[in-house]
Amino acid sequence: MAEITLVEAVNQALAYEMEANPDVIVMGEDVAKNGGVFRATVGLLDKFGKERVLDTPLAESMIAGLAVGMAAQGLKPVAEFQFMGFIYPALDEIINHASRMRNRTRGRLTCPVVFRTPFGAGIHAPEHHSESTEAYFAHTPGLRVVVPSSPSRAYGLLLASIRDPDPVIFLEPSRLYRYAKQEVKNDGKALPLDVCFTLRTGEDVTLVTWGAMVKETLAAADALNHAGISTEVIDVATIKPLDIDTILASVEKTGRCVVIHEAPLTCGVGAEIVAQVVEKALFSLKAPPERVTGFDTIVPYARLEKYYIPSEQRIIDAVNRQMEYA
Amino acid sequence: MKIFHLPDLGEGLAEAEIREWYVKEGDVVTVDQPLVSMETAKAVVDVPSPYAGKIVRLHGKANEIIKTGAALISYETDEAVVDKGSVVGKLESSEKKWDDGDVIIGGAKTRTPTIKAVPAARVLASQLNVSLSDVTPTGPQGLITAQDVKQFIENKSSTPMLTGQTEGLRGVRRVMAQTMAQSHKEVVPVTIVEDVDLTDLPLKSDLTVRILRAIIVAAKEEPALNAWFDGKTLERKLFNDEIHIGLAVDSNEGLFVPVIKHAEKYDDAELRKIVDTYKQSVAARTVAASDLQGATITLSNFGMITGKYATPIIVPPAVAILGCGRSRDAVVIRDGKMVVGRIMPLSLTFDHRAVTGGEATRFLGRVIRELQK
Repeated sequence: MAEITLVEAVNQALAYEMEANPDVIVMGEDVAKNGGVFRATVGLLDKFGKERVLDTPLAESMIAGLAVGMAAQGLKPVAEFQFMGFIYPALDEIINHASRMRNRTRGRLTCPVVFRTPFGAGIHAPEHHSESTEAYFAHTPGLRVVVPSSPSRAYGLLLASIRDPDPVIFLEPSRLYRYAKQEVKNDGKALPLDVCFTLRTGEDVTLVTWGAMVKETLAAADALNHAGISTEVIDVATIKPLDIDTILASVEKTGRCVVIHEAPLTCGVGAEIVAQVVEKALFSLKAPPERVTGFDTIVPYARLEKYYIPSEQRIIDAVNRQMEYA
Repeated sequence: MKIFHLPDLGEGLAEAEIREWYVKEGDVVTVDQPLVSMETAKAVVDVPSPYAGKIVRLHGKANEIIKTGAALISYETDEAVVDKGSVVGKLESSEKKWDDGDVIIGGAKTRTPTIKAVPAARVLASQLNVSLSDVTPTGPQGLITAQDVKQFIENKSSTPMLTGQTEGLRGVRRVMAQTMAQSHKEVVPVTIVEDVDLTDLPLKSDLTVRILRAIIVAAKEEPALNAWFDGKTLERKLFNDEIHIGLAVDSNEGLFVPVIKHAEKYDDAELRKIVDTYKQSVAARTVAASDLQGATITLSNFGMITGKYATPIIVPPAVAILGCGRSRDAVVIRDGKMVVGRIMPLSLTFDHRAVTGGEATRFLGRVIRELQK
């Protein structure tokens, strides 16, 4: 069993499923000959040929429209947007067609497409390369929004997303692409969608997060555990539909909830989670739930982006505020 | 082969000059080993090796200027070249092992019982330093309400901290405990004290009867003190010429206050007789219940035992009680001279909700004048 990075796990899952299912098509800008700017699709062209691995023009609307058409007619396209900030021209196809295909045709057609894109800041990139706008997609009925946070979850959740009969927005935390390695068995086993992953169990406070922020959250959790504060860490993994039951069960145990995300504060997915926690677990809460998030601003360039991304210290400070309530 | 490009050695420096090479082509170096001394516009800096490997080429000689970002040293390394893609930017990459811990798909199964409480109850409990686990919930689905926390505090404060063998209060003593607590809760008492000079009074005169007579006279002049008061409805009832004096009588069983009904109707001899009868019936525990009700003002002659002044307690609905301390010889001033006289201390408590300070002090003054007559 090989130790691989998150981006290699994406590649491995794509290769596995293309091998297993001839309907799977990979497409996007630079995905074939170049192997993808992050190398997520490297080697696929040689292995599966140019009919299944397509370099597209720089036209995101076209990529999405083509994928919707393929999906509606029985193929399984996995379309890559080079960065999340490039996805906006494709929103019309995604929101007006991909998400509605099942409903519009009363279930006669589905749209089994996966829209992959790297997301998040922290790679010293130019503008449009650091977005985390998962809330746009979570807000749209008919879309599933999936975010892996480790090589093994990238592998298992991407396989599940490709196999799912409905459209999935698959957001890959670019900051974690090569951050560390993990043993991942290339056995084609998918992980379940629509369920959270509990990464640490604890009694005092529940930390809810996803994507690249899992890294800072786990670091904060370990530091807090050292300081005697027992933290439970939940990786949401599927943002929509949200597995609120797992979050509620944890909050009802700990009585404290901090949601951490990289996206801006206002109308972020954290707002939805906190709202549901307050609606459904208010009487178990010992402290007002808190959000630790990016700021309501454009993600800054390289030299300032570390101040934008919620730090381990900000998470620790929030937990300490929570602990002030008995 | 790996090429080490000259990094920015300051903040935004465009170039640096090679001062001295510490290594030569063909050397095998380790990570962090000093390679070269470079002089910038700001300082002389030793540049450490970022890689381990064999140096195949130095891209400059001493005193030559190297631009920031230009090739400085070429290495031969054992590391396989990793294609990190064609992205504008820089990805953190490492050989670190991903520590996922024991991942649970879904939630942790271990459940500790949780306390459910409305936010106000949590705040209240925290302010009153109450542990919610001690509070009995009465809200829906076992929810602790703010009222539950208040109830807990109330129960706690009214629970006496007695240990060992205890004795429950019974009978008159029990009634006393309840009556006094009720009085303490309701009445707004003010006590005024004054000495009355009784030097001129014949030694043999019946002091108790004289005090009763003084109360009768004073009550007629200040009817506000011979009255009942209801604190809830804020109504009072003046008895005017009708004076029912409660007489506090001590016994082993507790305090009895038999009432001399229509005290104004009796002469001194009759009053003495009634007082004696009550004392005997209290001692014999034969005092009728009807005799213990209806006082409109009370006399507590505690000085017969001991004590100068007191703050006697009013029993509602009455509004005044007069306490008489022990009379004694004392130096008094008369016509500018100190003489030995006989004085009796008086303490009058009145309920300031129903009686004004003026009414009370005039009443006490009238009592004193009557006693000195």
